[in-house]
Amino acid sequence: MTVDLQDRVTVPSHHRATAALQIQGLQAGYEPGLLIVRGASLTVARGEIVAILGPNGAGKSTLVKAVAGLVPISGGRVQLAGSTGLQDITAVPAHELVHRGLAFVPQTENVFAGLTVAENLELAAALMKGVTRHNRAERLDPVYAMFPDLLRQRKLPAGRLSGGQRQMLAVARALLARPQVLMLDEPSAGLSPKLVAQVFDKLADVRASGVTLLLVEQNVKAALALADRAVVLVEGRERLVAPAAGLAQDPRLAQLYLGRHSADTRAEAPTGTPTKGVH
Amino acid sequence: MLQILADGLIIGSIIALGAIGLTLTFSILRFSNFGHGEFLAWGSYLALSALAVFAAIGWADSPRAVAPFSFGWPLLLALLGAAVLTALMALALDALLFKRLRLQGSITLVIASFGAALALRNLLLYFYGGVPRYYSQELQIAWALLPRTVAGGLRITPDQLFVIGLTAVTVVVLHLFLKHSTLGRAMRATADNPQLARLAGIDPERMLRITWLLGGVLAALAGVFAGLTVQLRPTLGLDLLLPLFAAVVLGGIGSVWGAVVGGLVVGLAESAAVAWVGAEWRAAAAFVVLIAMLLVRPTGLFGARA
Repeated sequence: MTVDLQDRVTVPSHHRATAALQIQGLQAGYEPGLLIVRGASLTVARGEIVAILGPNGAGKSTLVKAVAGLVPISGGRVQLAGSTGLQDITAVPAHELVHRGLAFVPQTENVFAGLTVAENLELAAALMKGVTRHNRAERLDPVYAMFPDLLRQRKLPAGRLSGGQRQMLAVARALLARPQVLMLDEPSAGLSPKLVAQVFDKLADVRASGVTLLLVEQNVKAALALADRAVVLVEGRERLVAPAAGLAQDPRLAQLYLGRHSADTRAEAPTGTPTKGVH
Repeated sequence: MLQILADGLIIGSIIALGAIGLTLTFSILRFSNFGHGEFLAWGSYLALSALAVFAAIGWADSPRAVAPFSFGWPLLLALLGAAVLTALMALALDALLFKRLRLQGSITLVIASFGAALALRNLLLYFYGGVPRYYSQELQIAWALLPRTVAGGLRITPDQLFVIGLTAVTVVVLHLFLKHSTLGRAMRATADNPQLARLAGIDPERMLRITWLLGGVLAALAGVFAGLTVQLRPTLGLDLLLPLFAAVVLGGIGSVWGAVVGGLVVGLAESAAVAWVGAEWRAAAAFVVLIAMLLVRPTGLFGARA
Protein backbone atom coordinates (compact mmCIF):
# COMPACT_ATOMS: atom_id res chain seq x y z
CA MET A 1 0.00 0.00 0.00
CA THR A 2 1.35 3.35 -0.90
CA VAL A 3 -1.13 6.17 -0.74
CA ASP A 4 -3.22 4.40 1.84
CA LEU A 5 -3.25 7.16 4.37
CA GLN A 6 -5.61 5.68 6.90
CA ASP A 7 -4.36 3.25 9.45
CA ARG A 8 -6.13 0.06 8.51
CA VAL A 9 -5.91 -1.88 11.74
CA THR A 10 -5.73 0.42 14.71
CA VAL A 11 -8.16 3.26 14.92
CA PRO A 12 -7.22 6.06 17.31
CA SER A 13 -9.32 6.09 20.44
CA HIS A 14 -10.62 9.64 19.98
CA HIS A 15 -11.81 8.51 16.59
CA ARG A 16 -13.60 5.49 17.94
CA ALA A 17 -15.48 7.59 20.46
CA THR A 18 -17.01 9.83 17.82
CA ALA A 19 -17.44 7.35 14.99
CA ALA A 20 -20.97 6.99 13.67
CA LEU A 21 -20.08 4.28 11.16
CA GLN A 22 -16.96 2.21 10.98
CA ILE A 23 -16.06 -0.17 8.17
CA GLN A 24 -13.03 -2.42 8.66
CA GLY A 25 -11.42 -4.65 6.05
CA LEU A 26 -14.73 -5.16 4.27
CA GLN A 27 -14.85 -7.80 1.57
CA ALA A 28 -17.98 -8.14 -0.52
CA GLY A 29 -19.19 -9.27 -3.93
CA TYR A 30 -22.33 -10.48 -5.66
CA GLU A 31 -20.96 -13.96 -6.27
CA PRO A 32 -18.83 -16.14 -4.01
CA GLY A 33 -15.16 -15.91 -4.92
CA LEU A 34 -15.66 -12.80 -7.01
CA LEU A 35 -14.82 -9.94 -4.66
CA ILE A 36 -15.54 -6.39 -5.73
CA VAL A 37 -14.86 -4.77 -2.38
CA ARG A 38 -11.47 -6.12 -1.29
CA GLY A 39 -10.72 -5.12 2.25
CA ALA A 40 -11.96 -1.56 2.34
CA SER A 41 -11.86 0.40 5.60
CA LEU A 42 -13.26 3.78 6.47
CA THR A 43 -14.72 5.64 9.39
CA VAL A 44 -17.38 8.30 9.34
CA ALA A 45 -17.46 10.54 12.39
CA ARG A 46 -20.70 11.80 13.90
CA GLY A 47 -22.07 14.76 11.96
CA GLU A 48 -19.55 14.35 9.18
CA ILE A 49 -20.10 14.16 5.43
CA VAL A 50 -17.78 11.67 3.76
CA ALA A 51 -17.71 11.21 0.00
CA ILE A 52 -16.54 7.97 -1.56
CA LEU A 53 -14.88 8.74 -4.90
CA GLY A 54 -13.05 6.62 -7.38
CA PRO A 55 -12.95 5.48 -10.99
CA ASN A 56 -15.66 3.35 -12.58
CA GLY A 57 -15.64 -0.20 -11.30
CA ALA A 58 -13.77 0.71 -8.12
CA GLY A 59 -16.51 -0.89 -6.03
CA LYS A 60 -17.97 2.32 -4.60
CA SER A 61 -21.61 1.35 -5.02
CA THR A 62 -20.95 -2.24 -4.01
CA LEU A 63 -19.34 -0.98 -0.81
CA VAL A 64 -22.37 1.00 0.33
CA LYS A 65 -24.76 -1.71 -0.86
CA ALA A 66 -22.84 -4.26 1.19
CA VAL A 67 -23.05 -2.01 4.24
CA ALA A 68 -26.80 -1.65 3.58
CA GLY A 69 -27.17 -5.43 3.56
CA LEU A 70 -27.92 -5.78 -0.16
CA VAL A 71 -24.65 -7.43 -1.23
CA PRO A 72 -23.25 -10.47 0.61
CA ILE A 73 -20.30 -9.67 2.88
CA SER A 74 -17.56 -12.29 3.00
CA GLY A 75 -15.07 -10.62 5.32
CA GLY A 76 -14.42 -7.69 7.61
CA ARG A 77 -16.94 -5.91 9.72
CA VAL A 78 -19.28 -2.96 9.86
CA GLN A 79 -20.09 -1.15 13.09
CA LEU A 80 -22.73 1.46 13.72
CA ALA A 81 -22.93 3.72 16.74
CA GLY A 82 -25.75 2.62 19.02
CA SER A 83 -26.94 3.50 22.48
CA THR A 84 -24.04 1.54 24.02
CA GLY A 85 -21.20 2.50 21.71
CA LEU A 86 -20.34 0.85 18.42
CA GLN A 87 -22.41 -2.21 17.57
CA ASP A 88 -21.53 -4.83 15.01
CA ILE A 89 -24.09 -4.72 12.20
CA THR A 90 -22.20 -6.88 9.68
CA ALA A 91 -24.76 -9.67 9.82
CA VAL A 92 -27.88 -7.57 10.43
CA PRO A 93 -30.38 -8.14 7.59
CA ALA A 94 -31.20 -5.19 5.33
CA HIS A 95 -34.74 -4.73 6.63
CA GLU A 96 -33.54 -4.24 10.21
CA LEU A 97 -30.79 -1.72 9.52
CA VAL A 98 -33.17 1.19 9.15
CA HIS A 99 -34.54 0.41 12.61
CA ARG A 100 -30.96 0.55 13.92
CA GLY A 101 -30.44 4.03 12.48
CA LEU A 102 -28.79 3.34 9.12
CA ALA A 103 -30.70 4.44 6.03
CA PHE A 104 -29.70 3.99 2.40
CA VAL A 105 -30.90 5.76 -0.75
CA PRO A 106 -30.04 3.67 -3.84
CA GLN A 107 -29.03 5.32 -7.09
CA THR A 108 -32.02 4.20 -9.13
CA GLU A 109 -35.50 2.93 -8.33
CA ASN A 110 -35.28 4.68 -4.98
CA VAL A 111 -38.98 5.52 -4.64
CA PHE A 112 -42.06 3.28 -4.77
CA ALA A 113 -43.16 4.34 -8.26
CA GLY A 114 -46.65 2.84 -8.00
CA LEU A 115 -47.46 4.58 -4.71
CA THR A 116 -48.30 8.26 -4.44
CA VAL A 117 -45.83 10.72 -2.95
CA ALA A 118 -47.92 10.87 0.23
CA GLU A 119 -48.13 7.05 0.42
CA ASN A 120 -44.35 6.79 0.01
CA LEU A 121 -43.78 9.17 2.90
CA GLU A 122 -46.59 7.96 5.15
CA LEU A 123 -45.46 4.37 4.75
CA ALA A 124 -41.85 5.26 5.57
CA ALA A 125 -43.06 6.92 8.78
CA ALA A 126 -45.59 4.23 9.67
CA LEU A 127 -43.01 1.45 9.42
CA MET A 128 -40.99 2.95 12.26
CA LYS A 129 -41.58 1.69 15.76
CA GLY A 130 -43.84 3.79 17.94
CA VAL A 131 -45.38 5.66 15.02
CA THR A 132 -49.16 5.52 14.89
CA ARG A 133 -51.79 7.12 12.71
CA HIS A 134 -52.20 9.78 15.40
CA ASN A 135 -48.59 10.83 15.89
CA ARG A 136 -47.19 10.30 12.41
CA ALA A 137 -47.73 13.98 11.57
CA GLU A 138 -44.95 14.78 14.04
CA ARG A 139 -42.58 12.96 11.73
CA LEU A 140 -44.13 13.98 8.44
CA ASP A 141 -44.53 17.72 9.04
CA PRO A 142 -40.82 18.59 9.43
CA VAL A 143 -40.00 16.59 6.30
CA TYR A 144 -42.77 18.27 4.30
CA ALA A 145 -41.45 21.60 5.61
CA MET A 146 -38.01 20.72 4.30
CA PHE A 147 -39.38 19.56 0.93
CA PRO A 148 -42.37 21.83 0.20
CA ASP A 149 -42.58 20.63 -3.42
CA LEU A 150 -43.47 17.17 -2.21
CA LEU A 151 -46.40 18.53 -0.23
CA ARG A 152 -47.77 20.09 -3.42
CA GLN A 153 -47.33 16.87 -5.36
CA ARG A 154 -48.38 14.48 -2.63
CA LYS A 155 -51.24 12.96 -4.60
CA LEU A 156 -49.09 12.22 -7.65
CA PRO A 157 -47.77 8.70 -8.23
CA ALA A 158 -44.06 8.83 -7.39
CA GLY A 159 -43.27 7.30 -10.78
CA ARG A 160 -44.48 10.47 -12.47
CA LEU A 161 -42.12 12.83 -10.62
CA SER A 162 -39.21 14.46 -12.45
CA GLY A 163 -35.70 13.17 -11.79
CA GLY A 164 -34.82 15.91 -9.33
CA GLN A 165 -38.04 15.59 -7.41
CA ARG A 166 -37.78 11.84 -7.33
CA GLN A 167 -34.35 12.22 -5.75
CA MET A 168 -35.81 14.66 -3.19
CA LEU A 169 -38.57 12.16 -2.40
CA ALA A 170 -36.00 9.40 -1.98
CA VAL A 171 -34.04 11.50 0.51
CA ALA A 172 -37.22 12.61 2.30
CA ARG A 173 -38.41 9.00 2.52
CA ALA A 174 -35.11 7.94 4.07
CA LEU A 175 -35.15 10.84 6.54
CA LEU A 176 -38.53 9.77 7.92
CA ALA A 177 -36.76 6.88 9.59
CA ARG A 178 -34.79 9.54 11.49
CA PRO A 179 -31.53 7.79 10.70
CA GLN A 180 -28.31 8.57 12.44
CA VAL A 181 -26.33 7.72 9.31
CA LEU A 182 -27.69 8.26 5.79
CA MET A 183 -25.89 6.61 2.86
CA LEU A 184 -26.58 7.78 -0.68
CA ASP A 185 -25.48 6.12 -3.90
CA GLU A 186 -24.80 8.82 -6.49
CA PRO A 187 -27.51 11.32 -5.59
CA SER A 188 -26.43 13.48 -8.56
CA ALA A 189 -26.83 10.74 -11.19
CA GLY A 190 -28.86 11.83 -14.18
CA LEU A 191 -29.52 15.34 -12.86
CA SER A 192 -28.74 18.67 -14.53
CA PRO A 193 -26.09 20.85 -12.80
CA LYS A 194 -28.83 23.11 -11.43
CA LEU A 195 -30.69 20.16 -9.91
CA VAL A 196 -27.47 18.72 -8.54
CA ALA A 197 -26.94 22.01 -6.71
CA GLN A 198 -30.49 21.83 -5.31
CA VAL A 199 -30.13 18.25 -4.14
CA PHE A 200 -26.73 18.94 -2.57
CA ASP A 201 -28.10 22.05 -0.83
CA LYS A 202 -30.72 19.81 0.74
CA LEU A 203 -28.04 17.35 1.79
CA ALA A 204 -26.24 20.20 3.58
CA ASP A 205 -29.53 20.93 5.38
CA VAL A 206 -29.82 17.24 6.26
CA ARG A 207 -26.38 17.31 7.86
CA ALA A 208 -27.29 20.50 9.69
CA SER A 209 -30.23 18.60 11.19
CA GLY A 210 -27.74 16.20 12.80
CA VAL A 211 -27.55 13.35 10.31
CA THR A 212 -24.19 11.84 9.37
CA LEU A 213 -23.78 11.37 5.62
CA LEU A 214 -21.81 8.89 3.53
CA LEU A 215 -22.20 9.35 -0.19
CA VAL A 216 -20.85 7.69 -3.30
CA GLU A 217 -20.30 10.17 -6.11
CA GLN A 218 -19.05 10.35 -9.68
CA ASN A 219 -19.49 14.12 -9.65
CA VAL A 220 -16.17 14.86 -7.92
CA LYS A 221 -16.55 18.62 -7.93
CA ALA A 222 -19.99 18.66 -6.33
CA ALA A 223 -19.02 15.96 -3.85
CA LEU A 224 -15.87 17.73 -2.68
CA ALA A 225 -17.77 21.00 -2.29
CA LEU A 226 -20.21 19.30 0.07
CA ALA A 227 -18.09 16.74 1.91
CA ASP A 228 -15.71 17.19 4.83
CA ARG A 229 -13.55 14.29 3.79
CA ALA A 230 -13.16 12.10 0.76
CA VAL A 231 -12.19 8.48 0.45
CA VAL A 232 -10.84 7.44 -2.94
CA LEU A 233 -11.56 3.81 -3.68
CA VAL A 234 -9.58 1.90 -6.30
CA GLU A 235 -10.05 -1.79 -7.04
CA GLY A 236 -12.12 -2.31 -3.93
CA ARG A 237 -9.78 -0.68 -1.40
CA GLU A 238 -9.38 2.84 -0.14
CA ARG A 239 -6.23 4.38 -1.60
CA LEU A 240 -6.52 7.93 -0.36
CA VAL A 241 -8.33 9.46 2.60
CA ALA A 242 -8.05 13.21 2.78
CA PRO A 243 -9.92 16.39 3.70
CA ALA A 244 -12.21 17.42 0.87
CA ALA A 245 -10.95 21.00 0.84
CA GLY A 246 -8.15 21.33 -1.67
CA LEU A 247 -8.33 17.71 -2.77
CA ALA A 248 -9.60 18.68 -6.19
CA GLN A 249 -6.21 20.24 -6.90
CA ASP A 250 -4.29 17.32 -5.42
CA PRO A 251 -2.37 15.52 -8.20
CA ARG A 252 -2.79 12.20 -6.39
CA LEU A 253 -6.53 12.30 -7.02
CA ALA A 254 -6.07 12.51 -10.78
CA GLN A 255 -3.47 9.77 -10.66
CA LEU A 256 -5.80 7.44 -8.82
CA TYR A 257 -8.57 8.17 -11.31
CA LEU A 258 -6.23 7.54 -14.22
CA GLY A 259 -5.19 4.21 -12.76
CA ARG A 260 -1.47 4.90 -12.27
CA HIS A 261 -1.78 4.14 -8.62
CA SER A 262 0.99 1.74 -7.73
CA ALA A 263 4.45 2.45 -9.08
CA ASP A 264 3.87 6.03 -10.09
CA THR A 265 2.41 7.28 -6.86
CA ARG A 266 5.18 5.66 -4.88
CA ALA A 267 7.61 8.19 -6.28
CA GLU A 268 5.44 11.16 -5.41
CA ALA A 269 3.98 10.06 -2.12
CA PRO A 270 6.47 7.79 -0.47
CA THR A 271 5.28 5.52 2.28
CA GLY A 272 6.01 6.69 5.79
CA THR A 273 4.75 10.21 5.25
CA PRO A 274 1.04 9.75 5.55
CA THR A 275 -1.14 12.80 5.88
CA LYS A 276 -3.91 11.90 8.25
CA GLY A 277 -7.37 12.98 7.35
CA VAL A 278 -8.73 15.80 9.46
CA HIS A 279 -11.76 14.93 11.54
CA MET B 1 -79.66 -11.19 -22.30
CA LEU B 2 -79.87 -10.00 -18.71
CA GLN B 3 -79.78 -13.61 -17.60
CA ILE B 4 -76.44 -14.08 -19.38
CA LEU B 5 -75.13 -11.02 -17.51
CA ALA B 6 -76.33 -12.33 -14.16
CA ASP B 7 -74.92 -15.82 -14.73
CA GLY B 8 -71.65 -14.29 -15.88
CA LEU B 9 -71.51 -12.14 -12.77
CA ILE B 10 -71.86 -15.21 -10.53
CA ILE B 11 -69.14 -17.29 -12.15
CA GLY B 12 -67.18 -14.06 -12.59
CA SER B 13 -67.30 -13.42 -8.83
CA ILE B 14 -65.75 -16.81 -8.16
CA ILE B 15 -63.05 -16.31 -10.80
CA ALA B 16 -62.35 -12.78 -9.54
CA LEU B 17 -61.75 -13.89 -5.94
CA GLY B 18 -59.41 -16.64 -7.09
CA ALA B 19 -57.66 -14.31 -9.53
CA ILE B 20 -56.98 -11.70 -6.82
CA GLY B 21 -55.12 -14.30 -4.78
CA LEU B 22 -53.22 -15.43 -7.86
CA THR B 23 -52.23 -11.89 -8.85
CA LEU B 24 -51.16 -11.08 -5.27
CA THR B 25 -48.93 -14.14 -5.03
CA PHE B 26 -47.51 -13.31 -8.43
CA SER B 27 -46.67 -9.72 -7.56
CA ILE B 28 -45.10 -10.48 -4.18
CA LEU B 29 -43.58 -13.93 -4.77
CA ARG B 30 -42.80 -13.31 -8.45
CA PHE B 31 -43.95 -16.60 -9.88
CA SER B 32 -47.15 -18.01 -11.39
CA ASN B 33 -48.59 -20.45 -8.90
CA PHE B 34 -50.32 -23.18 -10.90
CA GLY B 35 -51.36 -24.72 -7.62
CA HIS B 36 -53.65 -21.81 -6.81
CA GLY B 37 -56.72 -23.49 -8.33
CA GLU B 38 -56.27 -26.37 -5.89
CA PHE B 39 -56.58 -23.94 -2.98
CA LEU B 40 -60.07 -23.17 -4.27
CA ALA B 41 -60.92 -26.85 -4.51
CA TRP B 42 -59.54 -27.62 -1.08
CA GLY B 43 -61.37 -24.63 0.38
CA SER B 44 -64.68 -25.94 -0.92
CA TYR B 45 -64.08 -29.46 0.47
CA LEU B 46 -62.73 -28.23 3.81
CA ALA B 47 -66.03 -26.39 4.28
CA LEU B 48 -67.83 -29.65 3.48
CA SER B 49 -65.81 -31.43 6.16
CA ALA B 50 -66.51 -28.65 8.64
CA LEU B 51 -70.24 -29.08 7.94
CA ALA B 52 -69.89 -32.84 8.55
CA VAL B 53 -68.15 -32.15 11.85
CA PHE B 54 -70.90 -29.74 12.87
CA ALA B 55 -73.54 -32.32 11.92
CA ALA B 56 -71.73 -35.00 13.95
CA ILE B 57 -71.94 -32.87 17.06
CA GLY B 58 -75.64 -32.34 16.47
CA TRP B 59 -75.56 -28.97 14.76
CA ALA B 60 -76.77 -29.83 11.30
CA ASP B 61 -77.14 -27.24 8.63
CA SER B 62 -80.77 -26.48 8.00
CA PRO B 63 -82.05 -24.73 4.91
CA ARG B 64 -83.53 -21.28 5.32
CA ALA B 65 -82.17 -20.98 8.87
CA VAL B 66 -80.70 -17.80 7.52
CA ALA B 67 -83.62 -16.89 5.33
CA PRO B 68 -83.89 -17.12 2.38
CA PHE B 69 -80.68 -19.00 1.65
CA SER B 70 -80.28 -22.76 1.09
CA PHE B 71 -77.89 -22.83 4.06
CA GLY B 72 -77.79 -21.80 7.68
CA TRP B 73 -75.25 -20.59 10.21
CA PRO B 74 -73.24 -23.83 10.09
CA LEU B 75 -72.23 -23.17 6.48
CA LEU B 76 -71.17 -19.62 7.29
CA LEU B 77 -69.03 -20.91 10.13
CA ALA B 78 -67.73 -23.70 7.87
CA LEU B 79 -66.79 -21.01 5.35
CA LEU B 80 -64.80 -19.24 8.04
CA GLY B 81 -63.11 -22.46 9.10
CA ALA B 82 -62.28 -23.37 5.49
CA ALA B 83 -60.78 -19.92 4.98
CA VAL B 84 -58.50 -20.32 7.99
CA LEU B 85 -57.48 -23.88 7.06
CA THR B 86 -56.84 -23.07 3.40
CA ALA B 87 -54.71 -20.08 4.43
CA LEU B 88 -52.69 -22.36 6.72
CA MET B 89 -52.41 -24.91 3.93
CA ALA B 90 -50.98 -22.27 1.60
CA LEU B 91 -48.52 -21.26 4.30
CA ALA B 92 -47.53 -24.89 4.92
CA LEU B 93 -47.04 -25.51 1.19
CA ASP B 94 -44.73 -22.49 1.07
CA ALA B 95 -42.71 -23.69 4.05
CA LEU B 96 -42.44 -27.26 2.72
CA LEU B 97 -41.87 -26.52 -0.94
CA PHE B 98 -41.57 -23.00 -2.30
CA LYS B 99 -39.40 -21.58 0.45
CA ARG B 100 -36.69 -24.17 -0.23
CA LEU B 101 -36.70 -23.37 -3.95
CA ARG B 102 -36.94 -19.59 -3.74
CA LEU B 103 -33.30 -18.97 -4.62
CA GLN B 104 -33.53 -21.26 -7.66
CA GLY B 105 -35.52 -18.76 -9.70
CA SER B 106 -39.11 -18.45 -10.81
CA ILE B 107 -39.10 -21.21 -13.45
CA THR B 108 -38.26 -23.77 -10.77
CA LEU B 109 -41.07 -22.39 -8.62
CA VAL B 110 -43.57 -22.59 -11.48
CA ILE B 111 -42.68 -26.21 -12.20
CA ALA B 112 -42.85 -26.98 -8.47
CA SER B 113 -46.31 -25.43 -8.36
CA PHE B 114 -47.44 -27.84 -11.13
CA GLY B 115 -46.26 -30.68 -8.96
CA ALA B 116 -47.98 -29.25 -5.92
CA ALA B 117 -51.22 -28.91 -7.90
CA LEU B 118 -51.05 -32.54 -8.99
CA ALA B 119 -50.41 -33.74 -5.44
CA LEU B 120 -53.13 -31.58 -3.91
CA ARG B 121 -55.71 -32.63 -6.51
CA ASN B 122 -55.04 -36.31 -6.04
CA LEU B 123 -55.10 -36.00 -2.27
CA LEU B 124 -58.53 -34.45 -2.65
CA LEU B 125 -59.62 -37.36 -4.82
CA TYR B 126 -58.20 -39.82 -2.30
CA PHE B 127 -59.95 -38.30 0.70
CA TYR B 128 -63.28 -37.30 -0.80
CA GLY B 129 -63.74 -39.47 -3.90
CA GLY B 130 -64.62 -38.39 -7.40
CA VAL B 131 -68.38 -38.10 -7.09
CA PRO B 132 -69.69 -34.53 -7.18
CA ARG B 133 -70.99 -33.35 -3.81
CA TYR B 134 -73.28 -30.61 -2.58
CA TYR B 135 -73.44 -28.61 0.63
CA SER B 136 -77.19 -29.03 0.69
CA GLN B 137 -79.64 -31.29 -1.14
CA GLU B 138 -82.20 -28.55 -0.82
CA LEU B 139 -83.67 -27.32 -4.07
CA GLN B 140 -83.72 -23.61 -4.22
CA ILE B 141 -86.37 -21.75 -6.16
CA ALA B 142 -84.99 -18.86 -8.16
CA TRP B 143 -86.58 -15.49 -7.74
CA ALA B 144 -87.97 -14.09 -10.94
CA LEU B 145 -86.65 -10.57 -10.72
CA LEU B 146 -87.94 -9.75 -14.18
CA PRO B 147 -90.63 -11.54 -16.21
CA ARG B 148 -89.70 -13.27 -19.46
CA THR B 149 -91.22 -10.45 -21.45
CA VAL B 150 -88.56 -7.97 -20.26
CA ALA B 151 -85.23 -8.54 -22.04
CA GLY B 152 -85.64 -12.29 -21.77
CA GLY B 153 -86.31 -12.18 -18.03
CA LEU B 154 -84.02 -12.51 -15.07
CA ARG B 155 -84.09 -15.31 -12.52
CA ILE B 156 -81.61 -15.59 -9.71
CA THR B 157 -81.43 -17.68 -6.55
CA PRO B 158 -80.84 -16.10 -3.13
CA ASP B 159 -77.57 -18.05 -2.88
CA GLN B 160 -76.35 -16.50 -6.10
CA LEU B 161 -77.16 -13.03 -4.79
CA PHE B 162 -75.28 -13.91 -1.61
CA VAL B 163 -72.21 -14.87 -3.67
CA ILE B 164 -72.26 -11.65 -5.67
CA GLY B 165 -72.85 -9.54 -2.56
CA LEU B 166 -70.14 -11.12 -0.42
CA THR B 167 -67.69 -10.91 -3.32
CA ALA B 168 -68.39 -7.18 -3.65
CA VAL B 169 -67.89 -6.66 0.09
CA THR B 170 -64.64 -8.66 0.05
CA VAL B 171 -63.24 -6.70 -2.88
CA VAL B 172 -64.05 -3.35 -1.25
CA VAL B 173 -62.55 -4.41 2.09
CA LEU B 174 -59.42 -5.66 0.32
CA HIS B 175 -59.15 -2.40 -1.60
CA LEU B 176 -59.37 -0.35 1.60
CA PHE B 177 -56.79 -2.63 3.23
CA LEU B 178 -54.29 -2.24 0.40
CA LYS B 179 -54.90 1.48 0.00
CA HIS B 180 -54.98 2.70 3.59
CA SER B 181 -53.49 0.24 6.07
CA THR B 182 -49.76 0.21 6.75
CA LEU B 183 -49.64 -3.54 6.13
CA GLY B 184 -51.50 -3.19 2.82
CA ARG B 185 -49.23 -0.37 1.71
CA ALA B 186 -46.19 -2.39 2.74
CA MET B 187 -47.48 -5.21 0.51
CA ARG B 188 -47.89 -2.82 -2.43
CA ALA B 189 -44.44 -1.40 -1.75
CA THR B 190 -42.95 -4.91 -1.75
CA ALA B 191 -44.67 -5.72 -5.04
CA ASP B 192 -43.49 -2.38 -6.49
CA ASN B 193 -39.82 -2.63 -5.48
CA PRO B 194 -38.74 -5.52 -3.23
CA GLN B 195 -35.22 -4.19 -2.63
CA LEU B 196 -36.37 -0.73 -1.62
CA ALA B 197 -39.02 -2.31 0.60
CA ARG B 198 -36.27 -4.07 2.53
CA LEU B 199 -34.35 -0.81 2.86
CA ALA B 200 -37.52 0.83 4.19
CA GLY B 201 -37.63 -1.74 6.98
CA ILE B 202 -40.17 -4.21 5.58
CA ASP B 203 -39.42 -7.85 6.39
CA PRO B 204 -39.85 -9.66 3.05
CA GLU B 205 -40.60 -13.04 4.65
CA ARG B 206 -43.44 -11.48 6.63
CA MET B 207 -44.92 -10.05 3.43
CA LEU B 208 -44.72 -13.50 1.81
CA ARG B 209 -46.55 -15.10 4.72
CA ILE B 210 -49.29 -12.48 4.66
CA THR B 211 -49.68 -12.89 0.91
CA TRP B 212 -50.12 -16.66 1.23
CA LEU B 213 -52.64 -16.20 4.04
CA LEU B 214 -54.62 -13.65 2.06
CA GLY B 215 -54.49 -15.73 -1.12
CA GLY B 216 -55.65 -18.79 0.82
CA VAL B 217 -58.59 -16.98 2.43
CA LEU B 218 -59.77 -15.58 -0.91
CA ALA B 219 -59.33 -18.98 -2.59
CA ALA B 220 -61.43 -20.69 0.10
CA LEU B 221 -64.18 -18.07 -0.33
CA ALA B 222 -64.17 -18.64 -4.09
CA GLY B 223 -64.14 -22.41 -3.62
CA VAL B 224 -67.12 -22.38 -1.25
CA PHE B 225 -68.97 -20.06 -3.62
CA ALA B 226 -68.33 -22.50 -6.45
CA GLY B 227 -69.59 -25.36 -4.27
CA LEU B 228 -72.65 -23.34 -3.36
CA THR B 229 -73.64 -22.25 -6.86
CA VAL B 230 -72.40 -25.22 -8.92
CA GLN B 231 -71.16 -28.32 -7.12
CA LEU B 232 -68.12 -29.70 -5.33
CA ARG B 233 -65.80 -31.80 -7.46
CA PRO B 234 -62.11 -32.65 -7.13
CA THR B 235 -61.30 -31.21 -10.54
CA LEU B 236 -62.65 -27.79 -9.59
CA GLY B 237 -59.12 -26.39 -9.29
CA LEU B 238 -58.05 -27.72 -12.65
CA ASP B 239 -61.23 -26.50 -14.32
CA LEU B 240 -60.82 -23.01 -12.88
CA LEU B 241 -57.10 -22.68 -13.49
CA LEU B 242 -57.36 -21.37 -17.03
CA PRO B 243 -60.14 -18.86 -16.24
CA LEU B 244 -58.08 -17.65 -13.25
CA PHE B 245 -54.99 -17.04 -15.36
CA ALA B 246 -57.06 -15.50 -18.15
CA ALA B 247 -58.54 -13.07 -15.61
CA VAL B 248 -55.13 -12.16 -14.21
CA VAL B 249 -53.60 -11.55 -17.65
CA LEU B 250 -56.69 -9.71 -18.84
CA GLY B 251 -56.61 -7.30 -15.94
CA GLY B 252 -52.85 -6.86 -15.97
CA ILE B 253 -50.57 -9.08 -13.93
CA GLY B 254 -50.21 -7.74 -10.39
CA SER B 255 -53.27 -5.50 -10.47
CA VAL B 256 -55.97 -6.32 -7.91
CA TRP B 257 -58.66 -4.30 -9.68
CA GLY B 258 -57.49 -5.85 -12.93
CA ALA B 259 -58.08 -9.31 -11.47
CA VAL B 260 -61.60 -8.28 -10.40
CA VAL B 261 -62.53 -6.82 -13.78
CA GLY B 262 -60.73 -9.66 -15.57
CA GLY B 263 -62.64 -12.22 -13.52
CA LEU B 264 -65.98 -10.64 -14.31
CA VAL B 265 -65.16 -10.38 -18.04
CA VAL B 266 -64.09 -14.03 -18.23
CA GLY B 267 -67.24 -15.00 -16.33
CA LEU B 268 -69.40 -13.06 -18.75
CA ALA B 269 -67.57 -14.58 -21.72
CA GLU B 270 -68.20 -18.05 -20.33
CA SER B 271 -71.91 -17.48 -19.78
CA ALA B 272 -72.24 -15.88 -23.21
CA ALA B 273 -70.48 -18.88 -24.76
CA VAL B 274 -72.87 -21.25 -23.01
CA ALA B 275 -75.90 -19.32 -24.21
CA TRP B 276 -74.85 -18.56 -27.75
CA VAL B 277 -72.41 -21.24 -28.82
CA GLY B 278 -73.06 -24.21 -26.57
CA ALA B 279 -72.13 -25.39 -23.08
CA GLU B 280 -69.23 -27.49 -24.37
CA TRP B 281 -67.53 -24.26 -25.48
CA ARG B 282 -67.52 -22.76 -21.98
CA ALA B 283 -63.83 -23.49 -21.34
CA ALA B 284 -62.86 -22.12 -24.76
CA ALA B 285 -64.28 -18.72 -23.83
CA ALA B 286 -61.46 -18.06 -21.38
CA PHE B 287 -58.93 -19.00 -24.06
CA VAL B 288 -60.49 -16.65 -26.58
CA VAL B 289 -60.53 -13.77 -24.11
CA LEU B 290 -56.93 -14.49 -23.13
CA ILE B 291 -55.65 -14.62 -26.70
CA ALA B 292 -57.61 -11.52 -27.72
CA MET B 293 -56.13 -9.55 -24.84
CA LEU B 294 -52.60 -10.70 -25.52
CA LEU B 295 -52.99 -9.59 -29.13
CA VAL B 296 -54.54 -6.20 -28.39
CA ARG B 297 -52.83 -5.16 -25.18
CA PRO B 298 -50.31 -7.62 -23.75
CA THR B 299 -49.91 -5.68 -20.50
CA GLY B 300 -53.59 -6.14 -19.65
CA LEU B 301 -56.27 -3.59 -18.84
CA PHE B 302 -54.62 -2.19 -15.70
CA GLY B 303 -51.08 -3.40 -16.23
CA ALA B 304 -48.16 -1.00 -16.29
CA ARG B 305 -46.91 -0.35 -19.79
CA ALA B 306 -43.46 -1.80 -20.14
